[in-house]
Amino acid sequence: MLSESLLQSLRLLRLSAPRKRAGSYTGERRSTRRGRSVEFADYRNYTPGDDPRRVDWNIYARLERPYIRLFEDEEDLTVHLLLDDSPSMFWQAEEGAGLAQKWLCAAQLAAALGYVALASGDRVVVETSRGQRFGPRRGAASAALLITFIERLSLEPRHRPRAALNAWLARCARDARPGLAILISDMLDEEGASEGIAALASKGLTVNLLHTLSPDELAPSLAGDLQLKDVETGSAQDVSLDAGVLAAYHRQLSTWRAQLATEVQRFGGRYVLVNTALPPEAIVLRDLRREGWLT
Amino acid sequence: MDVLNPLAFWFALLAIPIVLLYLLRLQRREQLVSSTLLWRRAALDREANALWQRLQRNLLLFLQLATLAFLIFALARPYINAPDAASQQIVVLLDTSASMQATDVRPSRFEAARAQVSALIEALGAGDRMTLIAVDEAPRALVTLTNDKPQLRDTLRALRPTLGAANWSAAIALAKAIGSGDRETTTFVVSDGAGAADLTLLPGPVRFIPVGESSDNLAITTLALRRTRDGLAALVRLTNHGLRDEEALVVVEAEAALIDARTLAVAAGKSTEWTVSDIPPDARWVRARIDKARYNLLAADDAAYAVNGSNITRRALLITRGNLFLEQALAALPNLRVARATTPPTNAERYDLYVLDNMSATLPAGANALLIGAQGVFTPVAIFSDTAYARVAPHPIARDLDWRTVSVRDAYRLAAPDWLQPVVEGQGGPLVLAGESPDGALGRLVVLSFDLRRSDLPLQIAFPILIANSVAWLAPPGGLDIPLSVRPGAVVALPAGARVTLPSGEAITTGAQGFAQTDQLGIYTFEAGQAQGAFAVNFANIAESRIAPNPDLALSRPNLLPAAEARAAQREFWHALAALALALLVAEWWVYQRGLPALGRRSSARRPA
Repeated sequence: MLSESLLQSLRLLRLSAPRKRAGSYTGERRSTRRGRSVEFADYRNYTPGDDPRRVDWNIYARLERPYIRLFEDEEDLTVHLLLDDSPSMFWQAEEGAGLAQKWLCAAQLAAALGYVALASGDRVVVETSRGQRFGPRRGAASAALLITFIERLSLEPRHRPRAALNAWLARCARDARPGLAILISDMLDEEGASEGIAALASKGLTVNLLHTLSPDELAPSLAGDLQLKDVETGSAQDVSLDAGVLAAYHRQLSTWRAQLATEVQRFGGRYVLVNTALPPEAIVLRDLRREGWLT
Repeated sequence: MDVLNPLAFWFALLAIPIVLLYLLRLQRREQLVSSTLLWRRAALDREANALWQRLQRNLLLFLQLATLAFLIFALARPYINAPDAASQQIVVLLDTSASMQATDVRPSRFEAARAQVSALIEALGAGDRMTLIAVDEAPRALVTLTNDKPQLRDTLRALRPTLGAANWSAAIALAKAIGSGDRETTTFVVSDGAGAADLTLLPGPVRFIPVGESSDNLAITTLALRRTRDGLAALVRLTNHGLRDEEALVVVEAEAALIDARTLAVAAGKSTEWTVSDIPPDARWVRARIDKARYNLLAADDAAYAVNGSNITRRALLITRGNLFLEQALAALPNLRVARATTPPTNAERYDLYVLDNMSATLPAGANALLIGAQGVFTPVAIFSDTAYARVAPHPIARDLDWRTVSVRDAYRLAAPDWLQPVVEGQGGPLVLAGESPDGALGRLVVLSFDLRRSDLPLQIAFPILIANSVAWLAPPGGLDIPLSVRPGAVVALPAGARVTLPSGEAITTGAQGFAQTDQLGIYTFEAGQAQGAFAVNFANIAESRIAPNPDLALSRPNLLPAAEARAAQREFWHALAALALALLVAEWWVYQRGLPALGRRSSARRPA
């Protein structure tokens, strides 16, 4: 699924951690990387029940009031890979044998990002819109399992009842742990995904969106009087294609993308549009690094 | 507008298959897409701001339906009721009489009438045929039964109003003759109605198109010259044909020299007379004209001309044993110098006229003579006394002659030649004969076949009239029997080769038919051999001077249609519709082949396989 050279490159990368949020990390949890937990973060008033070892005695001597020293939580990062496998992800303009390029690209991206997370010791959870779940797992040893899981997703029956984006994301948010969520989807849903994104954010997840669109969606090469049929809902739309309609399509596409980016960025997330015709190496090593997703 | 073939509208059902085919052709290809989300939004976006583009999409359908509509409409043969058009054959009687020169309608009545006829010509349909008759003194068909519009236009353009009166009865006869074909004929009468005659004689529907508005006109209706002791006196009569009192400055000139000028007041519908004396007796002609007047719409009758015939003297020789009645009657005649003799003349002196009162004499060759009684030139063969119930034949010497009260006791039957025609004929034989010798042995002769003393004729009023008529006929002034005044268009019996100078100064030599170019008003002078003289052409037409239009002429006849309620012809215009349909078809083909700019990409996909 991923070439050896790509895996080599990925081993050197880490996922950028989400930004810190005040009050989120109290240091109560046991750190797995003990030696690194010395970074001072903040003070707060002592409340009964606090560990007396954490009182800053120097401050107490100066101010005669007890303050607790807060340290940066060094707990490992949980990376939620939310992979959309709705029928629209398997769509391709020309019906043909084999898997749709769009899905392949999305799956490869999920595998690559999962590999990066596992290799850098983060905890990885994969959830698909049709309810398949992987993890949480940690450690490079789980990489083979992850790739096998993603590969087997392609074999699932294509036309299962689709789940609305909002419902899926809300379900993911239910048992999510704070951390990073990477949503890989074409976002083609009438109702949008703003509620789902908000649900994830409320659980302390930073939602990054990899918006995967095929070239046929970015620049349709359709012509004539057509009845367009939605591969998911089956709804039809009559379109007589001419320059005017295409211009309107492009107008609506950019409006929609801007809208999605705004929704994600509202909660501190990031938005990257992926043309699924590009090879995954280019997307991961060039685009995502340039956008600061990988360091 | 109506249609001749309403059944053609059933073809409108053809629109159904066209629309059906169009809808079938529009059935869309199904295309699976990942989502219709964006397409739906794009479609909404586009429909919101581009209603026109939706129309444009159906342009081909619209063009096809429009073509069909025009074709069906053409098949239905629609027509409009063309105003001012007539039935298939029309006869136009255009008044060209003098009153049409009146200027109450600008520029003149005739121009207004010409415009009306021009409109009729332009309204002629493809199958219509028009006859154009100019109605003047001698009505004539200028163009007969033609559809040739240029010819009609040219004829109409060349037409001019005349100075004569309109001879309506001749025009109606002409129109009847032309309109008596098998097709129905509509007659248009374009006239001011002044002097128009009985239009009831015209066959078929008649439409009267009136022109003219006003009756204001002044005319010099009389100019007469009379010899007085002091010289010449002229009688001028100014007539006001209008409806308001008027005054006019009238000028009298003798051979271009001003004699007198006076402002004459004349009441509406009345005449004023003015006698001008002190005209030089040797003046050859006199003119009276209206110099200035406010309401005077016809110019042709503003001047009158009179030739002075008083200085033309004729000489007569009366051979008689004494007849006081005859001597008195002859002496009363103007311009006649009478010599009296008791014996036939022996000298070679020639007289214009010889009067033989019951005397026999040998007359010189070509002599004109009045022979009275049995002793003249012809031998009496019998005497008859059945002289009552005389019949008077029309002849110049019988003009105004009332023979009813004349009694003749007895008369001679004479051995008269055939060229002597009886003018007054009693039961027993002719009483008065007249004729002109054809061989030139004698001139003109008037013969009274009875002795005046055996009749009461000298006591009757008929006597001076007969004598005056006879002398005028036997010895006309100037030696030629030329009237002093004629009407425009009249033929003057000048001998061939006479040289005539027109009022315009142009000189014309007459032919064998006499002189007929009397279409200018004024004085004409002529020289014919030794004789020379002048005559005047005067308007002198009271009927035409009365220019009051008669727009109510229409009411004098039941089937005389007013112009506005004309029976209109049906003008079909399916040719234009068919041409439009063809143009639309070409446009449809062009759009189909080339596409409109915005249709550029679609046109290839739309073309059915």
